Amino acid sequence: MGRAREPVRIVVAEPSPRQGGGKLGTVEALRRIGRGVRIEVVHDAAAAIELARSTADLVVVDRDLGAEGERVLAALRRSGPPVVIVTPEATADVALETFKSGAADCVTASADYAEVLPAVALEQIRAWRAASARRAVRQRIRSLERLHATIVDQFPAALAVLDAEGRLVTVNPEFERAFLAGGAAEGRPLDAVLPADLLASADVPELLARAWSGVARTPRIAHARGGEHARAFDVRAEKLDSEGRILLVLADVTERERLAKDVRDLRRYMESIIQNMYSGLVVVDEAGRVAASNPMAEQILGEPPGSLKGRAVRDWFGPAAEPDGCIARSLAEGARVRGAEGMVQRADGKSIPVAISSSPLVDADGTRLGAVVIFPDVSELVQLQSQVLHTEKMASLGRLAAGVAHEINNPMGFVHANLAQMEEYLSDVARLLDAARSSPERFASLSRELDAETLLADFGQAIRESQEGSERIRHIVQDLRAFAYRDDGEWVPADLNRCLDSTAHIVWTMMKHSVVLQKEYAALPPVRCHPKQLEQVFMNLLVNAYQAIEARVARDGVGNGEIVLSTACSDDGVVISVSDDGAGIPPEHADRIFEPFFTTKEVGEGTGLGLSTSFEIVRRHGGTLRALSREGGGTTFEVWLPQQGPDGRAPQA
Amino acid sequence: MSNDIPTLLVVDDEACILSALRRSLCREGWRVLTASTPDEALRMLDEEPIDAVLSDHKMPRMSGLEVLEVAARRRPNAVRILISGWPDEIPAERLAALGVRALIPKPWDDAELKRILRAALAGCR
Repeated sequence: MGRAREPVRIVVAEPSPRQGGGKLGTVEALRRIGRGVRIEVVHDAAAAIELARSTADLVVVDRDLGAEGERVLAALRRSGPPVVIVTPEATADVALETFKSGAADCVTASADYAEVLPAVALEQIRAWRAASARRAVRQRIRSLERLHATIVDQFPAALAVLDAEGRLVTVNPEFERAFLAGGAAEGRPLDAVLPADLLASADVPELLARAWSGVARTPRIAHARGGEHARAFDVRAEKLDSEGRILLVLADVTERERLAKDVRDLRRYMESIIQNMYSGLVVVDEAGRVAASNPMAEQILGEPPGSLKGRAVRDWFGPAAEPDGCIARSLAEGARVRGAEGMVQRADGKSIPVAISSSPLVDADGTRLGAVVIFPDVSELVQLQSQVLHTEKMASLGRLAAGVAHEINNPMGFVHANLAQMEEYLSDVARLLDAARSSPERFASLSRELDAETLLADFGQAIRESQEGSERIRHIVQDLRAFAYRDDGEWVPADLNRCLDSTAHIVWTMMKHSVVLQKEYAALPPVRCHPKQLEQVFMNLLVNAYQAIEARVARDGVGNGEIVLSTACSDDGVVISVSDDGAGIPPEHADRIFEPFFTTKEVGEGTGLGLSTSFEIVRRHGGTLRALSREGGGTTFEVWLPQQGPDGRAPQA
Repeated sequence: MSNDIPTLLVVDDEACILSALRRSLCREGWRVLTASTPDEALRMLDEEPIDAVLSDHKMPRMSGLEVLEVAARRRPNAVRILISGWPDEIPAERLAALGVRALIPKPWDDAELKRILRAALAGCR
């Protein structure tokens, strides 16, 4: 102990220096113990007690101190260093009295005082130091025992010490609470205490056998189904000593296991959704590289399984991954984009149309980690859309058929009649030739009879009119063919006045008997668009306008209609409007006119797709289509189109 | 029948058709008048001794049937013939009610038209 090496401290309490028989005083005598001894001299009880209770090894009290000396003795009697009394002369009474008062020894200041006092002092000091050391050890043991008991009592797992036969020696309160329900522990075999299913599921006997034989410890998870709640325990066993005692630890990990299971279930759930969804999914890191993906993504991108990770999404998504694209904007600004039209460029050269949804991936603190990109393959949809578009176009052509046929019928009629007539004229001309060959007189007379001058003039007129008729037919067929021509899907700059005009020309044939057409065109910049699709929109609006007028005429029984086509520039696009003075749209239909298959017409008269298709075409051009209508007061359909197309790229004129 | 040459009135809003019909019917020796609007036709019905009216059906402002209806009132003895690109659309009972002699589809057969007119005009005489 450290204390043993500390210097010896002795407190001397005396009224005045005492001289022994050998002329040496108390202090001098004590000095003979050795050089390292520190001696402090005091003259009253209070000072002596205070010093003694600090770290003194011995207190020497001169009996001449009287009552003060007795106070010192009384104070140090229970605890504190030994007290030795020095006295001028020793009698049996004095000695008895001093021992009674708690002194450790009594030394007479006789002739051998200088030898006796140091010897007695040294002996007392040794005894005191030895006792102090023992006390310190005992105290340490007690504090360790308290610590141990506290730990065992408070330990959040069930603890049990087992003997070599597997019987309980001692358990902690947690063990009692979990398994004993108040019953005694000591001496009971473990398998009588723990639930059988817990013992079996962790194979506790085997675990104990391993512990006894000192084989490596492996914690196990055991399950007990007792009561309504199944519980899980982490079970460990460790050999404690050579007597074969074992410490068994059963930590209740039900909650942890439940959370772990929840996490596993959730992960499986998410995985199953992601793996099986009919859309490509890639998680993109901040550098624009694939961090994770699903099998559909591999299929759409045309890459072998497991090969996407770490590759730049730019490789496939092109513009969507470029600075202004939706993926790049999710990464840079945290933008959320839903269903943007995009194209996947595959390594095998194929292009697949996809609808790209991109949203930022953030952690719980809101820090952006990347983006989640979902992209269903919309090839079939796009194909279907184009089919619907074309079908609708053919249907609107069907609605025009009557007018067109009429328009062809008239020229056909007179060309046909003229041909028959010209044949007769030709035979007249042949007769004239014959007459001319035979004699001038016969020729002159036949010329008069046939009115040859008029015949020739009318022959020429018949040819010119027939040419005009066949030219008209050619024009109509050309217009129809141009309109029916399937759009090739290219974005091109187009003059919308021209598109509107050529469409109006086709429709005009069927409405010219009942409608006056006004054109108020402004000069328009070229607009980046699918011209054939916009012609389809104009066709639908014109046919609708015509039908609205027909409906009004039928209702009122009289009158003609007027359609006004007007075009204008807006600051960043163009506005095309088609106004009629027809029946108007009843308020209850106003919200529904752009719905697919909504129609007020008889079966066979309309597909109900005209306006919804038009709306969709305009929407895909990044524009708007709206109807301004007063029931009975006509309708204006207004198309606004951005000059630069839906993605803001300027047209190359 | 004011004199020996029958007078025909042809009504159509299409000039080339009028021209072709005139060309063909004049050849038969008939006097052919043409009107390119119903108004003009009605005026001629008042002013001329019309023996037969041939009218196109689909015209602005007034249909061919309406023209024939007026003709039936003003010239009950005149032969009435309707020409139409859509003969199926014209109700047979209206044709009967107006005493329309023939419904000629467009494009018409020139020889057939002349045959019908010859027969009708002979019957009138």
